[in-house]
Amino acid sequence: MNTTQIIVTIGGIALSILIAWFFWLAPKGQTRATSDAGGAQEVAVTVKGGYTPDVVVVKAGLPVRMHFTRQESAACSERVLFPDFNQNALLPEGQKVTLEFTPEKPGEYGFQCQMGMFRGKLIVE
Amino acid sequence: MVPNERWKSMNAKDPVCGMEIDPKNAYAMREHMGHKFYFDSESCVEQFDADPHKYAMAGSVTTGFNPSMQIEQIELPILGLKKGSGRHTLKNALEAIEGVKSVSVNPSSGVSVIEYDPQVVTLPTLSSAVKSAGFRVGGAQTRIGIQDLRCASCVQFIENELRGTPGVLNASVNVGTQEATVNYLPEKNILNQLNSAIEEWGYKTRPAASEEPMDKQQIEHEKEYRHLMSRFWFAAIISIPVLIIAYAKYLPIVRDWSMETLRLSWGASALLTFPVLFWSGSDFFTGAWAALKHRAANMNTLIALGTAAAWLYSAFTVLFPGIFPEGTSEPFFDVVTVVIALVVLGQALELRAKGRTSEAIKKLMGLQAKTARVIRDGQEIDLPVEEVLVGDIVQVRPGEKVPVDGILVEGSSAVDESMLTGESLPAAKKTGDEVIGATINKTGAFKFRATKVGKDTALAQIVKMVQDAQNSKAPIARMADTVSGYFVPVVMILAVLTFIIWFDFGPQPQLVYALVTGVTVLIIACPCALGLATPMSLMVGIGKGAENGILIRSGEALQTSQGIQTVVLDKTGTITKGKPELTDTIVSGNWEENDLLHLAASVERSSEHPLAEAIVEGAKTRGIALSEPTAFEAIPGLGVIATVDGHRVALGNLKMTNRENVVLGDFEQKAAALADDGKTPMYAVIDGQLAGIVAVADTVKDDSSEAIAALQKMGIEVVMITGDNKRTAEAIARKVGITRVLSEVLPEDKAHNVHLLQAEGKKVAMVGDGINDAPALAQADVGLAIGTGTDVAIEASDITLIKGSLKSVVTAIEVSRATMNNIKQNLIGAFIYNILGVPVAMGVLFPFFAVLLNPLLAGAAMAFSSVTVVSNANRLRAFKPRFSAK
Repeated sequence: MNTTQIIVTIGGIALSILIAWFFWLAPKGQTRATSDAGGAQEVAVTVKGGYTPDVVVVKAGLPVRMHFTRQESAACSERVLFPDFNQNALLPEGQKVTLEFTPEKPGEYGFQCQMGMFRGKLIVE
Repeated sequence: MVPNERWKSMNAKDPVCGMEIDPKNAYAMREHMGHKFYFDSESCVEQFDADPHKYAMAGSVTTGFNPSMQIEQIELPILGLKKGSGRHTLKNALEAIEGVKSVSVNPSSGVSVIEYDPQVVTLPTLSSAVKSAGFRVGGAQTRIGIQDLRCASCVQFIENELRGTPGVLNASVNVGTQEATVNYLPEKNILNQLNSAIEEWGYKTRPAASEEPMDKQQIEHEKEYRHLMSRFWFAAIISIPVLIIAYAKYLPIVRDWSMETLRLSWGASALLTFPVLFWSGSDFFTGAWAALKHRAANMNTLIALGTAAAWLYSAFTVLFPGIFPEGTSEPFFDVVTVVIALVVLGQALELRAKGRTSEAIKKLMGLQAKTARVIRDGQEIDLPVEEVLVGDIVQVRPGEKVPVDGILVEGSSAVDESMLTGESLPAAKKTGDEVIGATINKTGAFKFRATKVGKDTALAQIVKMVQDAQNSKAPIARMADTVSGYFVPVVMILAVLTFIIWFDFGPQPQLVYALVTGVTVLIIACPCALGLATPMSLMVGIGKGAENGILIRSGEALQTSQGIQTVVLDKTGTITKGKPELTDTIVSGNWEENDLLHLAASVERSSEHPLAEAIVEGAKTRGIALSEPTAFEAIPGLGVIATVDGHRVALGNLKMTNRENVVLGDFEQKAAALADDGKTPMYAVIDGQLAGIVAVADTVKDDSSEAIAALQKMGIEVVMITGDNKRTAEAIARKVGITRVLSEVLPEDKAHNVHLLQAEGKKVAMVGDGINDAPALAQADVGLAIGTGTDVAIEASDITLIKGSLKSVVTAIEVSRATMNNIKQNLIGAFIYNILGVPVAMGVLFPFFAVLLNPLLAGAAMAFSSVTVVSNANRLRAFKPRFSAK
């Protein structure tokens, strides 16, 4: 093995570790839902290449209102699903769509587009 | 004339430019027709001066404001109003509003009658008061599109205009969607006024794009498809010269180009492919970047990385050929254009195929009638179906669609309900019968009172249920989900490792081999196929069920149904019609059958017992006229006695004959034989002599035996459960071919019995009527409720059979099996594709067979793997149930 090969090998392994760390191990930013006067927790989520924010923290037992606005035309993200709450909605481009439900049990619940390309997490405390 | 309350607030509003301004700081003030107007800037006041009337009048023309009418009375439909609860809160809340003269709340009709001064208080204020008291104002909602709405300041104006229109409860305008959403009282028929209210501000209205979500989705799909196709064509056309240059050495003429010309043409390729990368492929890059920001990776990431790496390497080789080792300075721009072209084409084809998966829903939604002929104040008016209110009397002529659900109040007809129930024979309807929206009136004209409108109609509920189910998750999808969560980063790591291995151990030129294999790995991996495998088939399968009158509530229910080993059938109403019928008449001596029936049925006319009704109905269908009984007497536990046409007639059980002291003779055995057959015999004693036996029974539905045989043929054990005595239960079971009978089961023990069957290690489906059997339906692995009429969305069940036949149970299991097979094919296909494709792309075959995958081929494979999955799901559309509905 020549020097270039050794450098490339070490660089590649380092890159692999970086990929694993970046996608799986590094902590993700969380967004806490804001509560309105009536106790409902509101979060606005933008759908464009993913959900922003994609990790949402809410309290158990209080209604959650998630406002989704889809800002892209790719058919992939036209529906958002909360399989654990049996909720789903069609997201027409540029239109705010609100999903409302009340998570009763604390835990982590996923939400995603129909094919599962975009994913988000609802953390109920 | 101007509704001056609009300018009454602390701040005045510039009538031209729409800004809210403090009169003290106003740029200018004008008086027109006795009212003061304040302006924000010079240009606004100039516009006003040019045509003051236009701006000052803007409010009144459309609102139809009538100053001579001081007090207006309005009937607000209130939702959530129940007897006693919160009625006073509501009354107090409304009365507290300034300008409200009187309020009466009527919980039984669900309305509140309010007298108010429209100059002081507006409907939206009343509406929000109702809302803060914890109720909702019932009303219709409409969306109106507004063309070229750009300025945010105009929004307030239009909103105020709309809110000022009598009958409007609330209005909001969204600049983003260019739409106004208006809640209004439908009895005011104000749709046209709303449009002119918007047009008054100089905007054109159009039908709202989101009015019909399905159509909107179709339009969006169409737009997206064209968008993708134009990107595909661009990339495809660029690909031609790029390919020619890339394979120059194999082609005549170009083969003879000098190295100089070749280098120049590579440079040209670099320039040509650049727009392909950043226009045709822009979605991959924006998508990848957006995902990256979320620390996520998806298909976009892979394609973006693969094509970008190929392009960058190629561009470097063109710009700095010297820095690359001998023989590695050849670009491969063709990979960039061809892969992008193919993947974009794949997405376009996938979109096309996806559109067809939701056809079932479109068919269902297309059933809805568009207009209704409503009678209000004695006038027949044609209204859009959205404006029909609960309580409206609706006229339906032969050949027309019933617009909403209701109860027939006048006339009679036969109605074709096949679109909802799959029942091909038209159902006869008379006064008091339920009619369902979207069914077709065949023969007579009738009027009905609307009981369910809008979102509450049976059809709307069915559509909602099917849509929800289509987007639910089948447990089988969870595995694919878990895998695809890790899939993309794993592929990226594999690509890096592939690069290292080829770079270290591969043949010369190592850099080229390393790069090509690395890029191929990125491109061939297809997380989309995995992600699409379940949802697409589920969409078609659940839609297919709906077409056959089977509403499957979730993907989970669909998946569980395929593995059902035991089906428990409730006897009454499920296997049988659930309604007793007259079955036998045995006469003694010289009595005529019809005479006996005439007397027996005449006595029973006064009784309300279901068995009595069966005898009366039976006599009527035989064309026997009945007489009026006198001296009617019901003796609990025995039967009834009355005088008919001068005869004393007693009808009852064995105890009754004892009381009447009649000799039974061999009739006791005859009665026992009838009882053995599951029938209920009744002795008729006329003038102290036994005249005969009348027997009634709950009869088996015509197609129950056939359906049960089909289930058994599918390898499913069929069990009957009933509260009836063993003798009756076994008689019915024999008739339909069931061997295992659970009889004398109390209603509350049905769930326990289902549990016992489950304890035998079987997957149990329970079929029942949804009300009495709710606990058992919930206990079973799959609960199938038989729903009829408008009562379709039955909560306790996993599957609702709108057609009352047991054949639907067979079809439900068939649909489930076909769908799950399809899903498995898709999943296996997608997994095998990736599990085989990725290692081949990495070059595992190279040491043995010297086979290496071309990145162009990888691109094609990737593009078409997801198309294959969607097409396979579409194959399900050809599914035909054994018992076809039509």
